[in-house]
Amino acid sequence: MQRSRVRPHPAALCCMSFPLSLTPFMSSALTYLGPPFNEKDFSPPRPNSTALSLPSAATRLELWHGLENQARLAQNQKAYSVLLAAVRELARSTLCPALKTSLLHFCTGLDGLLGSISALMTTLGYALPPPSANMEMRPTMNDFAKKVEGFWILRELQSWLWRSAKDFNRLKKRLRG
Amino acid sequence: MNLGVTAAAAAFKEAILVFTPAACSQFGLQTSSEEEPTFDLRRAAERVKLRGSCLLFTSRKLDKVRERRKAAKRTMFPFMFLLLLVQHVLLSSTHEAVISPQDPVLYIGSSLTATCTLSPELGLHASTLYWTLNGISVSSSAYSVLSPDTLSITLQNLNGSQQQSGDNLVCHGADGHVLAGSCLYVGRPPEKPVNLTCWSHNTKDLSCKWSPGGLGETHIQTKYTLKYKLRWYGREKECEVYNTGKQRYSCYIPRNLALFTPYEIWVEAANQLGSATSDITTLDILDVVTTDPPANVQVSRVGDLEDQLTVRWASPPELKDILFQAKYQIRYRLEDSTEWKVVDDVGNQTSCRLAGLQPGTVYFVQVRCNPVGIYGSRKPGIWSDWSHPAAASTPSSERLQSGSCDPKPGEQNSTLRRELKQFFGWVRKHASGCSGMSIKLYDQWRVWLQKSHKTRNQILQDDNS
Repeated sequence: MQRSRVRPHPAALCCMSFPLSLTPFMSSALTYLGPPFNEKDFSPPRPNSTALSLPSAATRLELWHGLENQARLAQNQKAYSVLLAAVRELARSTLCPALKTSLLHFCTGLDGLLGSISALMTTLGYALPPPSANMEMRPTMNDFAKKVEGFWILRELQSWLWRSAKDFNRLKKRLRG
Repeated sequence: MNLGVTAAAAAFKEAILVFTPAACSQFGLQTSSEEEPTFDLRRAAERVKLRGSCLLFTSRKLDKVRERRKAAKRTMFPFMFLLLLVQHVLLSSTHEAVISPQDPVLYIGSSLTATCTLSPELGLHASTLYWTLNGISVSSSAYSVLSPDTLSITLQNLNGSQQQSGDNLVCHGADGHVLAGSCLYVGRPPEKPVNLTCWSHNTKDLSCKWSPGGLGETHIQTKYTLKYKLRWYGREKECEVYNTGKQRYSCYIPRNLALFTPYEIWVEAANQLGSATSDITTLDILDVVTTDPPANVQVSRVGDLEDQLTVRWASPPELKDILFQAKYQIRYRLEDSTEWKVVDDVGNQTSCRLAGLQPGTVYFVQVRCNPVGIYGSRKPGIWSDWSHPAAASTPSSERLQSGSCDPKPGEQNSTLRRELKQFFGWVRKHASGCSGMSIKLYDQWRVWLQKSHKTRNQILQDDNS
């Protein structure tokens, strides 16, 4: 397999310095959901839904280290595609206007991040995965179940943001070297 | 099921996993100080039960390993076991228990009886369950075991919902894990909105605000819709832009407003418990016009007169095309005073002389504008905001200066001010880089200084009291 020798555009590399942070609205989102969601060790069962069908951020150390650039980027791309749709839906169903605005603003950031990842993949000559078939039939969930799903989406988002920072550092080193 | 997990876990005793800090805390594990925290699969597997995600990724990742290392046939059996486990866990985790009613909407003060019905696969008895409402355990005196798999709870005299997303009523197993939940929406129907007030900026748009009626807080999501129509004909229209700026109950209509014909305007409030409509307000756009404050307000001395100042301003530019006469109002105060003196009978001139002032004192002055007689309307309009404050000082008295040794603060300021004015004039002439400097800036700076000084004093006062 021919490894691409093309140097990625510097702009693509600098998009990888991560401006996204969940901390500003994480606590207001949990406050909005209400106790027990904003309690320290709360952990409801993770729902089996389309919104949470993204690849898990958690991975074995040697697997993570050994990921090829394409696979690394593809995992990030897939994860943020799912997360963007999920956070958008979360924003749509939020009743508190201030939180809704924060979430929508965050979605803009996520969208930008996703665009940068896709652009980087294209520059490096990697095929972009086809957009996944849109939303299989959502099982009807009651409001509490939707809250649990929202809670887990935010958890996954946190994990991925943490992991992606490491991913992009690794990519930077591998692309420059 | 637990046996199977332990067996699988034993087979992967050597496996090391990398988890993110968030996932670690979820399993109640501390992250080490190294960048990529690690922990033993067995401990994770023990906590798994309903956490399908852990098993999911494990089997998925290990599948990848299998593909890479072809000599892995001996690990096939535990894999199959795990996969079956995963399916089993997933199927039972989606419907462990069901609460009824789901997401009810209730009146404040009402009672609710809810039931938690367990799925038979769980093998739990209803008597081991407990309820929490918004994270707080409900006393078991409110429980009633209806059958081996159904526990009910009766909540009396409910208070209004604590958060807009609904109160969380949760059914827990004995060890605390969440079996099911339901969101309660407890509130009251809205009352007639009141105090509907509208104003138009330069006849181009219409902004309205109102207050919720009665007790105000309904505790559940309440939608307010502002509607309007031309009085004698025309379809009812809805305002679309709500809560602009900091006003919570407000709406803005940006265009397509008719003049010379009155509008009927009202607000409808609705939520899941009821609805209410405000009284209809009838108004003509031309009667509720407001405009921008006057521009270029300048205050200056009247020669050497120590008790007078002249105020000049320009009429707001935007109303030139609406054929109106503006009415103005001036207010002024001493630099370190909070009491404003208002000059009302300014008429429609763009200058005014203030008299009866103290010599050697700095005054702050503001002007505002009211459009009258727009297109022949006889009604008074709405006063604009006050302009930015302008400042000037009256000349100091000769007599006072010769009498005392220490110059009074007012005098000191007016000397300084005069010198600064000369300085700025010189700078403008000779130093091309400082074109923005002017005595006006100095006046604005004095105003700002005063405000921040007052705030500081206020804070000190509050601390001391």
